[in-house]
Amino acid sequence: MQPVTESKKKNSIQNIILMVSIGILSLVLGIWLSQKMLIDNNDAKIPRDLDATVLPNARTLAGFNLIDQNGQAFSPIQLQGQWSFLFFGFTYCPDVCPATLKAMQSVWKILPTKMGEAGHPKLYFISVDPDRDKVEMLKNYVQYFNPEFNGVTGKLDELDKLTNQIGILYGYDDKEGENDKEYTVNHSAQLILIDPKGRMRAVISPPHIAETISSNFQTIRLFYGDE
Amino acid sequence: MILIKLLNRIFFVFLFLISTANAADSLTIENAWSPEAPPVAKVLAGYMKINNLSNKDIKIKSVKSNLFERIEIHNTEMKDGMMKMVKQENLTIKANANVELKPGGLHMMLIGKRKLITAGSLIDVTLTFDNGDTITQNLMVKNDEQPQMKCGSMSGSKCGSKCGSK
Repeated sequence: MQPVTESKKKNSIQNIILMVSIGILSLVLGIWLSQKMLIDNNDAKIPRDLDATVLPNARTLAGFNLIDQNGQAFSPIQLQGQWSFLFFGFTYCPDVCPATLKAMQSVWKILPTKMGEAGHPKLYFISVDPDRDKVEMLKNYVQYFNPEFNGVTGKLDELDKLTNQIGILYGYDDKEGENDKEYTVNHSAQLILIDPKGRMRAVISPPHIAETISSNFQTIRLFYGDE
Repeated sequence: MILIKLLNRIFFVFLFLISTANAADSLTIENAWSPEAPPVAKVLAGYMKINNLSNKDIKIKSVKSNLFERIEIHNTEMKDGMMKMVKQENLTIKANANVELKPGGLHMMLIGKRKLITAGSLIDVTLTFDNGDTITQNLMVKNDEQPQMKCGSMSGSKCGSKCGSK
């Protein structure tokens, strides 16, 4: 008798396991299906075949107070209403920064839109070297590449508020004290694309080639719209 | 046997003579240029290709120019997710090889005093090498849209729909 009871016990345990598994499976399937059927917004999908990394869920940026090239406030509100490219660098940078701004100069020449037209982006060159890059100088620097370009900088803790949200890294090499003007700045060299709601939408990694940036931007823009 | 040995010796002496005669031509420089920069920029970049035609490694001892306070060679390297400029002391050009200074990689950093330098002007720099050679080279200042790109500036016929819209 003993073995029969044992096997009955085993059977009932197996049945419970089976039923629980079916339950879990249908729950997961149900959630997945409802997600797929109910949520039909563009945030869940991303455009394909890009050299850029698109964030499936755009990231809202908040709480930074920087200064633009005209001495005006540059905060999250300035990023709303149009697409914006952000690039973080410094003007003492001879290689990567001017090369990127040069590439963006070319991007602006091949854009199908003009300033003031729907979908026309802005470019913000954000200096992470506020000790040496003053706003006046930044303005001259960026506008050399295109009069539409904007320079931005600010206090280090305010810069950190923005860079931390975006995932941009920067740091100084050989900086010895406040009066030391001979140091180099290490920085992430990605271009960050901000959507018209002021949210981080895509990351474009170097090397920055104008044609690629331009075509990726148009694809992303058309996919999500200019609102 | 003695004759062969003698011929051998003569041959090597001959080789030696050829190599010393060519010592002055052991290094050549091509494609030396500098991208035009905003007038307010405190540093400029310089690029070039240096060929070492000799059978010995040659190091750069110094680079100087009257227009600048000093010139350093740096390499742009990706490290810890950041672009980092790493100073190159005595950059070596390997025997029978070349070193290319180009955007996004090795570059000369032209630092400090200068006057307005615009596209079309020439910057002369003097490179001193550890084999005793000294080369004075002009860097042509250019304002190319983007050196690696061949489209966007003209009608756009070469590049198809992507950049020919204007």
